[in-house]
Amino acid sequence: MSHLLKKWWAALAVLGLLGIGLAAAGNTSVQAASKDNGEFKVGMEAGYAPFNWTQSDSSNGAVKIQGSNEYANGYDVQIAKRIAKALGKTPVVVKTDWDGLPPALTSGKIDAIIAGMSPTPERRKTIDFTNTYYVSNMTMVVRKDGKYANATSLKDFKGAKITGQLSTSDYDAISQIKGVIKEPAMNNFPAMRAAIESGTIDGYASEVPEGSSAEAANPNLKMIHFAKGQGFKTNPDESDLAIGVRKGYEYKAKINEVLAGISQKQRTQIMNEAVANQPSTGNTGNWFVSLMKQYGGMLLRGTGMTILLAVVGTLVGFIIGLLVGIIRTIPRPRSMGKRGILRFFDWLLAVYIEVFRGTPMIVQAAVLYYGSAQALHLSIDRTAAALIIVSINTGAYISEIIRGGITSVDDGQFEAANALGMTHFQMMRKVILPQAVRNSLPAVTNEFIVNIKDTSVLSVISVSELFFSGETIAGQNFQFFHTYLVISGIYLIMTFTISRLFRLIEKHMDGPKNYNVMNNQMQVETPKIGAATSRKDA
Amino acid sequence: MKDEMILQVQNLHKSFGDHEVLKDINLDVHKGEVLSIIGASGSGKSTLLRNINLLEQPTGGDIRFHDQSILADDFDVTLYRAKVGMVFQSFNLFNNLDVLQNVMVGQTTVLKRNPAEARSHAMALLESVGMAPYVNAKPDQLSGGQQQRVAIARAEAMDPEVLLFDEPTSALDPEMVDEVLNTMSKLAHTGLTMVIVTHEMQFARDVSDIVCFMNDGVLAESGTPEQIFEHPQEQRTQEFLKRYMSRV
Ligand SMILES: Nc1ncnc2c1ncn2[C@@H]1O[C@H](COP(=O)(O)OP(=O)(O)OP(=O)(O)O)[C@@H](O)[C@H]1O
Ligand SMILES: [Mg+2]
Repeated sequence: MSHLLKKWWAALAVLGLLGIGLAAAGNTSVQAASKDNGEFKVGMEAGYAPFNWTQSDSSNGAVKIQGSNEYANGYDVQIAKRIAKALGKTPVVVKTDWDGLPPALTSGKIDAIIAGMSPTPERRKTIDFTNTYYVSNMTMVVRKDGKYANATSLKDFKGAKITGQLSTSDYDAISQIKGVIKEPAMNNFPAMRAAIESGTIDGYASEVPEGSSAEAANPNLKMIHFAKGQGFKTNPDESDLAIGVRKGYEYKAKINEVLAGISQKQRTQIMNEAVANQPSTGNTGNWFVSLMKQYGGMLLRGTGMTILLAVVGTLVGFIIGLLVGIIRTIPRPRSMGKRGILRFFDWLLAVYIEVFRGTPMIVQAAVLYYGSAQALHLSIDRTAAALIIVSINTGAYISEIIRGGITSVDDGQFEAANALGMTHFQMMRKVILPQAVRNSLPAVTNEFIVNIKDTSVLSVISVSELFFSGETIAGQNFQFFHTYLVISGIYLIMTFTISRLFRLIEKHMDGPKNYNVMNNQMQVETPKIGAATSRKDA
Repeated sequence: MKDEMILQVQNLHKSFGDHEVLKDINLDVHKGEVLSIIGASGSGKSTLLRNINLLEQPTGGDIRFHDQSILADDFDVTLYRAKVGMVFQSFNLFNNLDVLQNVMVGQTTVLKRNPAEARSHAMALLESVGMAPYVNAKPDQLSGGQQQRVAIARAEAMDPEVLLFDEPTSALDPEMVDEVLNTMSKLAHTGLTMVIVTHEMQFARDVSDIVCFMNDGVLAESGTPEQIFEHPQEQRTQEFLKRYMSRV
C-alpha cells in the first residue's frame, strides 16, 4: 500500500509541476505563438446571435471560420471586419467556446476577443480591453404564455427560477432580484432556451439584442421590457461590451481609434441588420428533411471528425497499450544496471497511466493546447492536439486493459514459450499478446465506443466534432430537441456499428469451430508397450 | 559408450522463502542417457526440472551445461533453453496457434528456420507421433493424449540435446496414457538424452538407463532400473516402492 501511495505522490507532483510551470508562464508577457501573417484572428462563440452566429454560406458579408467550411456573421463580425480593414489585415474568425476565449487569447491563438464580452475587473487581471464597442442593457427572457410574461420589474421575479450563462456578468446580476431562485449557470443560450421551453427554468438573464433575437426566432419566448428604474442595475464594467486583447497589444490604440469612428447611429444600424440577417428557423414541411437539407453537410463533417478522433485515438491508444504491456512484463534482468533502467521505465509508465486516468480529458486537452502555446510558445494545430490527447488518454486505459489480458493468460503459456528459448519480445508477439488481445477485445470495444462519445469534450479546444456541430446547429435553428435527437441517432448508429464490427472480429479471431482431419487415417496407431489391455477409442 | 557429460547438477539448493525444497542435489546426465526420477509427491521433482531449465532461479550450487555454468551473468539463457526442451504435465500448447503452428513457431522464431523447412520438419515429427491428420486443429479441440503428443513434437522440433519431461502422463485419463508413453519410448530408442519425472514405474523400468529416487529434497538413491526396482538399498526407497506397487 505504501507502494501505491508513492505512485500517487509521483502523479500529484507531476501535475503540480505542470501547474506551476503554466502559472509562471502566465505572468510573463507572451508573444503571439503564431506569426503575424497579415491575419486578424478574432475569437468568438459563433453561437450568440445577433452578436455572432454560424451560417453555411458567405451571404450578408460573413467571414470564413478558420479550419471549417462554415462562416460567421453578426454584429461582432461586422465590427471585426472594420477593424481588420483599418489594420490592413484579413479578418479570420476562430470559433471558440466561451470559457476557451481568454486562454486562446493569452496563448496567442487569437488576436482579439469580439464576442459580446464585458470588461469586468476579474477579466482585466489577465487580459486588456479596448473602449466600448456596444452598450447593452440587460433583460430577461421568459416563456410567452408563462407566469412571468407580464413582469415589468425585477420584484415580479420573486420565487422564479432564473439562470444565466456561466462566467458572465448576466449571471452575477441575478442576485439583485430579492427572493429569486438562482439556478446553476448554463453553458450556452440554446440550452437555456430549451430549458425555458421544457419548464425547468422560468427565465434567463441576458442582453437586449440576444433577447430580441430569441423572441424573433422562437414564438414561445418573450423578452421582458422593464419599467424605467425597475430593471437590472448595471455598472459600465459589466454592461458595456468591449474587445479583449492581450496585455500590451500593439494595435490597441489603433482599434480604439477605429471604434471611435463608428457612431452610435451606425452601431444601432449594424445591430438592426444583424437581427434581421440572423438565420431563421426553416419551419417548412418535415423538420427532419429541412434539418438535413440545411445542416446535412455540417453533420456529416462533424460525424467524420468524431470518427477520425475515435478511430485514430483507439488505434494509437491500442498500440501504446501493447507497448506498455510488453515493457511492463519484461522479467527482471540479471545485471544491476539494466534492472535499474527497467525499474525507472516501469515507474515512468505507472506515472503516465495514473496521471492520464486520474484527470479529465477536457483538462488534458486544455492544458496541452493552451498550455503548450502559453508556456512553450508552441502552436499546435487543434485537430492534431485533439488526436494526441485522445490517443494518449486512451493509451493509458488500454494499457491497463492489456495488462489484465496478459495476467489472464495461463502461466503455462509463458513457461512453454520460455522453455522453447523465445525472447521476451518473441514470446509476447507470437504467444501471449494474441491471447491477451483476444481476452481484452470486449473491453477495447468499450473504449472505442467511449471515445466516440467522449471526444465531445474536445469542443473546449474548438474541434468541430459531432457534438460541437450539434451545438452550433441548435444555436442557429433554435430546435434544441430535434437537433439533439438527430445527433443521438448518429451516435447510436456509430456505436452500434462498432459493437457489431468487433463481434465479427472476435469471431474471426476465434477461428472455425471445427477442423478438418487431413486424411483418412482417423485411427492413430499406437504400438503397445507393457500395457495389459488395448484401449482404443471406439 | 555414453561418456560425454551434457548436464551436471552440483550441490543444487532451492528455497522458496525459508522453505528449502531442494537440499544439495548432485546429478550427472550423459549424452544419450535416459534418466528417470521417481519419488513421492512434494519431494521436489518438478522443482528440480524447473531449475534445470531456469524456470526457477537456484538459490545455491551450480548447474553446468557442456561444462559451462548456466548461472553465469554472460550465459545465453535463451539459446540454452532452445537446446534443453521441456514437456509439461499440463501440455501447455499455445492456445492461439493450431497444431502445425505450435510445432513450427519455435523453429521459425528461435532457430530462424525458413517456414518451408520448418513445416516439413514439423510434418515429419507430427507424423511420427501420429498427429499428422490434426494439423489444423486448435489445442482445445484435442484430447489430452493428443495434446501431449503434439507437445512432444513441439519440443523435438527444436532438435534439442536434452528433453525434460515433468510427469507427462499425470494429467491424462488412463486410456490415453499409453499413446504418450509409446511416443516417449520410441523417442528413447532414437538415442535422445531424456530426463523424465514420472509416476509410471513400469515405464521407468522399461526405458531408463538410470533411475533416481528422490525423497524430501534429496536424491536418496540412484542406479540401474534393476538395482532400484529389484534391490533397493535404502529403506526409504523400499517403502516408497512398496506403497506404490501395492496401490497400482
Ligand atoms: N513457487 C513455489 N513457491 C513455494 N513453494 C513451492 C513452489 N513450487 C513448489 N513449492 C513447494 O516445493 C515442494 C516440492 O514441489 P514439487 O512440485 O517440486 O514436488 P513434486 O515432487 O514435483 O511433486 P508432484 O509429484 O506432486 O508433482 C512442495 O512442498 C511445494 O509446495
Ligand atoms: Mg511435480
